Amino acid sequence: MLKTDSQPSNIDLDSATPTLHLLSQRRADFTTLVEALEYAAQGDTGYNFYDAKGRLRAVLTYRELRARAQATAKRLSGLGLARGSRVALVADTTPEFIEIFFACRYAGLVPFAMPVPVNLGSHAIYVRQLQGMLESSQASVAVAGLDFVGFLEEAASGENDNALKWCGTPAQLNLLPEANVTFAANSPEETAYLQFTSGSTRAPRGVVITERALMSNLRGIVCNGLKVRQGDRCASWLPFYHDMGLVGLVLAPLAAQLSVDYLATRDFAVRPLQWLRLISRNRCTIAFSQPFGLKLCTLRARESDLKELDLSCWRAAGVGAEMIRVDTLKSFAAKFSAAGFDERAFLPCYGLAESTLAVSFPALDQGAQSLCVDTKTLVEKKMAVRVQADGRKFNEFVNCGRPLSGHVVKIVDEDGQELPHMMVGSVWVRGDSVMDGYFNNPAETTRAIKPGGWLDTGDIGFVFEGDLYITGRRTDVIIVNGRNIRAQDVEELAEQQPEVRSREASAFGVSDRDGSTIVVLVIETRLASADDRQSLINRLQQMIYMAFGVNCLVELVPPHTLPRTSSGKLSRFAARQGFLHRTNIENLTAASTVG
Amino acid sequence: MSEITQAQITEQLCRRLADFTNAEMEISPETNLITHLAIDSVKLLNLVMEIEDHFDISVPLNALVDVLTVQDLSNLIYKIKSATK
Repeated sequence: MLKTDSQPSNIDLDSATPTLHLLSQRRADFTTLVEALEYAAQGDTGYNFYDAKGRLRAVLTYRELRARAQATAKRLSGLGLARGSRVALVADTTPEFIEIFFACRYAGLVPFAMPVPVNLGSHAIYVRQLQGMLESSQASVAVAGLDFVGFLEEAASGENDNALKWCGTPAQLNLLPEANVTFAANSPEETAYLQFTSGSTRAPRGVVITERALMSNLRGIVCNGLKVRQGDRCASWLPFYHDMGLVGLVLAPLAAQLSVDYLATRDFAVRPLQWLRLISRNRCTIAFSQPFGLKLCTLRARESDLKELDLSCWRAAGVGAEMIRVDTLKSFAAKFSAAGFDERAFLPCYGLAESTLAVSFPALDQGAQSLCVDTKTLVEKKMAVRVQADGRKFNEFVNCGRPLSGHVVKIVDEDGQELPHMMVGSVWVRGDSVMDGYFNNPAETTRAIKPGGWLDTGDIGFVFEGDLYITGRRTDVIIVNGRNIRAQDVEELAEQQPEVRSREASAFGVSDRDGSTIVVLVIETRLASADDRQSLINRLQQMIYMAFGVNCLVELVPPHTLPRTSSGKLSRFAARQGFLHRTNIENLTAASTVG
Repeated sequence: MSEITQAQITEQLCRRLADFTNAEMEISPETNLITHLAIDSVKLLNLVMEIEDHFDISVPLNALVDVLTVQDLSNLIYKIKSATK
């Protein structure tokens, strides 16, 4: 039964879907997503949605999901779209998003999730972001809830190159007539969905994930990574438009017929302890977060909160999606051990949307293992050697475990030649989970997929005794508070200012010792007057905030300061080195620059 | 809760923002939350929580995209309060 906001809010917890049920568990051994749902629909489990105060707001059993998705699929079929047409969904944490996502798969359409706006003053930039995705995907249908459909209509109107045939709310979609159709089965080679990788405003890239890739990754997560069993239950605040939220905490639980308890991302961010209360109350065993989410919990928890929590049920505390620092995990464990949290539950993993979601998992029940390597050898020889003597400087890296079965990771140098163990280089992945490419974007696809089917993740790391360690993310992506920001997007925003010429802006991230990253933007300018310079700095800071929700340090430098490569391209790596040298900022770790 | 005027909301908001940002500067309705007060995403979440608790309202995220100044924020709070009366 689906409950909506209009119903009384004092729903008894008993009406959430159960953890245990009679259907015998199948662990993601399906060939398509629809097949996984058809099986899960025979049981009693499903999705539960909680509000900011921790009250159950809606329940969507897998049985109900199947019925609703099929009905919606018939309505979508009535629009007469070609098989494989794209359907854009603004992905708020609602039952409707999941229903329409599965409706698309029944109807042979390709859904993709678009973000919800979160930043102050970001109206115009958010609309442009939606426009970019609608154009890049050539979506035929776009759906958003009441809160967001206005932005979608703005994005769809005006002079732009989209292919939209229908745009509206889930309620409006429900008014369309159901076509009398029989659904054709999906094949493993067909595209299951697209995943847009960052909130970029220009040329957003949609990762193409086939049914085969998805099912391979779900099997890896369910069987290798989590070793899911009867009695497991998940809790999540991760956004549905994020690969970890969608693949990890919507699709993977369904493929193993587990119940999930959701808290909207916004409600978690404002009151993070609600997530822990949900885990404690419903005895959840699996819950994932970015390190940033763990930090928020640690920051906000008071002694009185700890008393009411019992986190001893939490056996797999997955951590991923950004660089993991040991300190973040240690602080979280120190705080919440009083509430029964067992630090052996930590499961630091590595993955990316271009490989569906997961690449590697460590063994369960061992907690976060780390390796302290000698800083000098790391920087000078690009080699990870365990630190030998006391007093030597070291960098500590978290063990992200081994690749999923059927997947291989190798570390290569700048020429793509495989490096021996312990050497630091680019991380490449091969296996069934790797994307087909970026939608309609052969140039970017060629850049990412190397001969032999290897995916260049762009991340930097090494392998030690068979385990993968990540030492730095790619230089073209800045990760702040769990959000991926493309350096190029920041630079392009800057170049829209009349005072800034193209190729005179360089953006990168710098981290301080406690792991916080700030965005730095260095601009070459001839502006002399202090007022003009301050005006430019203010404008840039405001624009960057509105687009990405982060503060930015703007440095104005004389022309010809920024280092260029022989082909005249700006080198972000060198620009960053120069900035560090000029500002002589203490406390910046070498860790994120290695490679 | 008794009726609250828009002017009272603005005044309370300015006071809370002053505590919140530790800024030396005078906070007025025209103060820009981003450029003047440097409200980043973490501070924003804290601020939303304080506003929700203080004014006993729920602030929808989609409304914040049109907020730049203290006055904008005050208008939004007043609108939500009036709608939920």
